[in-house]
Amino acid sequence: MIRKILFACAFILINAATLWAQQETIEVFPSAPYDRHIIFQSLALFWVAIIGLIIIIRMKLKEIERIQKMGIDREEKNIPLLD
Amino acid sequence: MSCQRLRNWIEERYDVEGMKGLAKQKLVPVHQYEIWYYTGGIAMFLFILQFITGMVLSFYYIPYFEHANKSVIEIVTKLNMGWFFRSLHHWGAQLAITALFIHVFSTLLLKSYRKPRELLWISGFILLGISIFFGLSGYLLLWDERAFAAVRVATGGAGNLPVIGGFIKAFLRGGIDVTGETLTRFYAFHVSVLPLITLFLIGMHILLVQYHGMSVPMSLEKKPLKQIPFFPNLFYKDLIIWLLVLGVVVSLATLLPPEIGKKADPLAPAPENIKPEWYFLFLFQTLKLFPGDILGLNGETIAIILISCGILFFFLIPFFDRKSSRGEKSILFTWIGVLYTLYFIIMTVIGYLT
Repeated sequence: MIRKILFACAFILINAATLWAQQETIEVFPSAPYDRHIIFQSLALFWVAIIGLIIIIRMKLKEIERIQKMGIDREEKNIPLLD
Repeated sequence: MSCQRLRNWIEERYDVEGMKGLAKQKLVPVHQYEIWYYTGGIAMFLFILQFITGMVLSFYYIPYFEHANKSVIEIVTKLNMGWFFRSLHHWGAQLAITALFIHVFSTLLLKSYRKPRELLWISGFILLGISIFFGLSGYLLLWDERAFAAVRVATGGAGNLPVIGGFIKAFLRGGIDVTGETLTRFYAFHVSVLPLITLFLIGMHILLVQYHGMSVPMSLEKKPLKQIPFFPNLFYKDLIIWLLVLGVVVSLATLLPPEIGKKADPLAPAPENIKPEWYFLFLFQTLKLFPGDILGLNGETIAIILISCGILFFFLIPFFDRKSSRGEKSILFTWIGVLYTLYFIIMTVIGYLT
């Protein structure tokens, strides 16, 4: 029985000693699960917003190219002016 | 003041229509290599991001060696979104330097440096050098043991240059060794000296691009190329790419926030397996190739001299490549460009893996 208690004490002490020697790590990212969930959710939403914006810009660009192809974006020369 | 009134107020004072006309006049050629045009825009976008995130961080950072490391830890752990801004600044810097390297090597391989764009090459090359120094000076601001050792190695390496090496080392360190003086000095470089030079050079670079127009690769120079207006066509394409880059930077900043090491101790030995930042790996690996002693001379000094000569040749390439300036094919300089690019990539990969 005493031997078992001694072993248990030694085990605890050895493990505690390694805790002192353990390198302190600095949390560079929020550790709370709720915060993490919000951050990853925001990242997903951010990407959805980026993709949405890209689609809108692409549509706008296509429209500009269509107008340029038709040539109606250029100013016509010799337009009769109304006095 | 309503929007229309504000517009009228501006139009009465400035030639807005004239400026609009000028923007519409700028044309960009369309060809198979046009993708490389966007790399400069990406670098500029990332520089803007760096300025913004850097300004936010500077509100809370304490540039004194006793508090520097602790202030970074506090930014990351205590401030609302502090971790995100610090991470964004870190990844923005990595991607900005990557974009600049790609921009420089694409310019080299497409020979866009040829007459009359020599000054564009020079201003771009200096900008790359400044960005690397931005990276080094920003790295020390962490004041952790890895940054401390890396700056000690980098400034020590510069000190191996003959004649001016000692001066450069002392100037950078602000003393014999890396100390609190070095931190103050690097902070001054990082937040005032380098940004001012960068702003001036970026302004000059953009003005020169407007003046010369976009460069066309030599193989396509004589072919009739379709041209599209910069505004709005290319501007919208630039916007799409910037949005994608922003998404990548934000994702990296969120998923891979950079670590903070233990506070630097000048008396402690350098940590094991220390490696410089990735953009110094090719230099680090080249230094490893040289033995400590060559014919009784210091091997490291010889290596530094050879590397400096290589970089100087790279810098002056537009003046050596006379054939390209005359509009003739210059196969030798194509191979030199390929060699430089491959050497940089291979040495960086080897340095990263070993």
